Amino acid sequence: MPIPTLAEKLQWLKPAPATEFERECAQAVRPGDYEIGVQITNDILDEAMEIFIRSSRSYFGVSGDSMVAIFTAEGDLINASCGTYLHAIIQPIIIKFIRKYYQENPGIRDGDIFYTNDALYGGIHNPDQVAIMPVFHDGRLIAWATAALHTTETGAIEPGGMPVTAKSRFEEGLNLPPIKIGENFKLRNDFLEFYSVYGLRAPAMFHSDLRARCTTADRVRVRLLEQVEKRGVEFVVGLMRKMLDTAEAGAFQKVKSLPDGKFRSVVFNDAIGWHPALVRACFLTLTKQGDRLTFDFNGTSPENPSSYNVHTQAVVGHIANFMYEYFFHDLPICSSTFAPIDFVFPEGILLNPDKLAATSCCVYIGMQTRCATHNCFAKMMFSSGSGWRQVASAPGSQHTAQICSGHSQWNLAVSDVLSFSLNTQGQGGRAADDGMDAYGFAWCAFGRAPDCEQVEGELPLTVTLSQHWKDSSGPGLHRGGSGAVQQWMIHKVPQMLSLCMGNGSKVPLGQPLFGGYASAPIPGISVKHADLKQRMQDGDPDLVLDHRTLFEKQGIQGDWKFELIARTPDMYAEGDLLFGFSGGGPGYGDPLERPAESVMEDLKKKIISEWTAKNVYQVAVDAEGRKANQSQTEELRRGERQARRARGKSYEEFMKEWSKKSPPKEILEWYGSWPDAKPTGPIFRP
Amino acid sequence: MANNDSRRIRVTEYLDLDLDQERWSCNRCGHIIGPARDNYKKGCLLYDRDPREIHAPIVEGPYGFSPDPLWVRIVEFYCPQCGTQIETEYLPPGHPITWDIEINIDALKARLSSGELVIKDQRLEAAE
Repeated sequence: MPIPTLAEKLQWLKPAPATEFERECAQAVRPGDYEIGVQITNDILDEAMEIFIRSSRSYFGVSGDSMVAIFTAEGDLINASCGTYLHAIIQPIIIKFIRKYYQENPGIRDGDIFYTNDALYGGIHNPDQVAIMPVFHDGRLIAWATAALHTTETGAIEPGGMPVTAKSRFEEGLNLPPIKIGENFKLRNDFLEFYSVYGLRAPAMFHSDLRARCTTADRVRVRLLEQVEKRGVEFVVGLMRKMLDTAEAGAFQKVKSLPDGKFRSVVFNDAIGWHPALVRACFLTLTKQGDRLTFDFNGTSPENPSSYNVHTQAVVGHIANFMYEYFFHDLPICSSTFAPIDFVFPEGILLNPDKLAATSCCVYIGMQTRCATHNCFAKMMFSSGSGWRQVASAPGSQHTAQICSGHSQWNLAVSDVLSFSLNTQGQGGRAADDGMDAYGFAWCAFGRAPDCEQVEGELPLTVTLSQHWKDSSGPGLHRGGSGAVQQWMIHKVPQMLSLCMGNGSKVPLGQPLFGGYASAPIPGISVKHADLKQRMQDGDPDLVLDHRTLFEKQGIQGDWKFELIARTPDMYAEGDLLFGFSGGGPGYGDPLERPAESVMEDLKKKIISEWTAKNVYQVAVDAEGRKANQSQTEELRRGERQARRARGKSYEEFMKEWSKKSPPKEILEWYGSWPDAKPTGPIFRP
Repeated sequence: MANNDSRRIRVTEYLDLDLDQERWSCNRCGHIIGPARDNYKKGCLLYDRDPREIHAPIVEGPYGFSPDPLWVRIVEFYCPQCGTQIETEYLPPGHPITWDIEINIDALKARLSSGELVIKDQRLEAAE
């Protein structure tokens, strides 16, 4: 079977050499026409993205966790509308696979629709599915168009598309290698029938999303051909090649401007599925030499028999999220920007597992590679006059990925994820400013929190609280952006099944920067037999719907439960409550340098508590909690700096005690050997 | 600006690299932290902090919005002279300290000497 090898995948990430025809066409594209052409591709893609969002049914689709893209005939991405950058760099792997293996059988023809969601062949994980259409003109393949979207159902052993207990790929439901699903611009009925049975838990969403992908890819194809008719095929082909070449040159130039050296970061994860477990999710050594970068993941924990493993190109996808939000923010979304970048994935680490591995929850490990990338780049870029303003801590990546499954108030089968607690995470503190509050989704910068009324209409719940989550952000000179919290009450149905994915209850996930602190961990919280609904119906004047007050005083009566964020499927009855959190961003810089006025502003906006203002920021707050006393604050901070010098130990003295310590053995089952995370035995999978 | 200052580069918010002396120094107070070819953390004061002192529990029990101190500690790195918190690392107890910044000093000097890069306002710029 021609499952792509690691070497093939890494090779296919690089742009193919220009053909003679492409080179001739590129040379003919005049300045001015080139810029107009680039904007035309933007317009085509933005129109298609709008269609995609409006046609999708799943909340990831509605939120814009998607990508629409254009590729050269050879399969290299030249521009995209995002959505998420997760897919931006890696989809050439899929197209180049189709080109290499399907040319003769089943063939590549005008009107074909290809489809895949299998991470073995180049995707992220199996809920992320992509429709791929070749673009032909006068019988000649000139481009490809794709539309990718995360759908929250795959027919796996648990609802929601990301089965936490999957131990191998065979428990993940639909895992579809690239396959032709349509011919002559029509979807095949036999495929639709095959596909449908994997979406029986939520047929309307499953089908709508499939068609949304196909119609979106086709719109891109149609618009490209309109440009061919208007400006000539040579212009379109030349434009695409020139976009590749220009982006590649820009990327090499940006990389070259940085100082040479090695930069390292280590990030941990605290859960493997529903089991608390410590793993070294990413040990990154980033080497910069000349105009090249190498990401080396030696030292990362071994693969494990859960779905918390990541296939290699999905790691690259996570890194692309950082690169396009920050370092390459001024370059087009074009796969040639990764031409200067190489990767080293040792065999058997959880970032390069066996082909039988389950990877449906890969994002909970993959995000740690983004976090480590943030820190390595920060330490490489801060000295750069053109780059230091792009330095930022990782975004808040812990969250409540709550799956709702059952029937809506309209008796329609549903299985979906509550996106608010994903798409409102806090940005990491930045070199020049605080992180933005509730900025977006760490996996999808442009993801939008869905409209409450729409959620309440389609899912069996009502939203009873939406607030910034107090003390979620990491303190610092520039604090991380605040995360958010929602309270969901099961509503208008007798029962709903729910489970939760996630991590970050025990260990903060992203490392802070330059003396800041990380963001707060997230527990899983539910209240069964809650009296909230009755009290709302009664118009109880004493009811306070402030999340912090509710947690501290448990002001709603019922069976409160605080547990690991990742939770097994359970039934919740009408009136039961669940809480969803989006993580705050880690902080940047020494909190003692944050101006007292900024701390007071945070207090006023309920981003932090008075406890944090006094104990972490060392601000003297008056009795009413409204003003800071500057001289007392300076005195407090002077005292804290003295205290640091008194309690701090020299490196040698510190290491004498520190090196004797270790975490409890029972949490190291999947870590590998302590502390270097080497494999300790083979993995057995069903 | 003195000649020495013109060869001083800001590598982090609090760390300066003095290329001529090949030393790390504190950006806030100028204290010399250590040799630039070694891990700057060796010249800092280190403190093992219980994470609950920063991320205070909101409710009692193992899932109360605080990191678990048996799983993770905050290692704080201070300037020995002014007490600025130069860096923090969230590490499991006993985990090796990360050598996070290992700049190729020789390559940087060569690029500056060749005129490929210049230092402007303590930062590296491509020569025009």
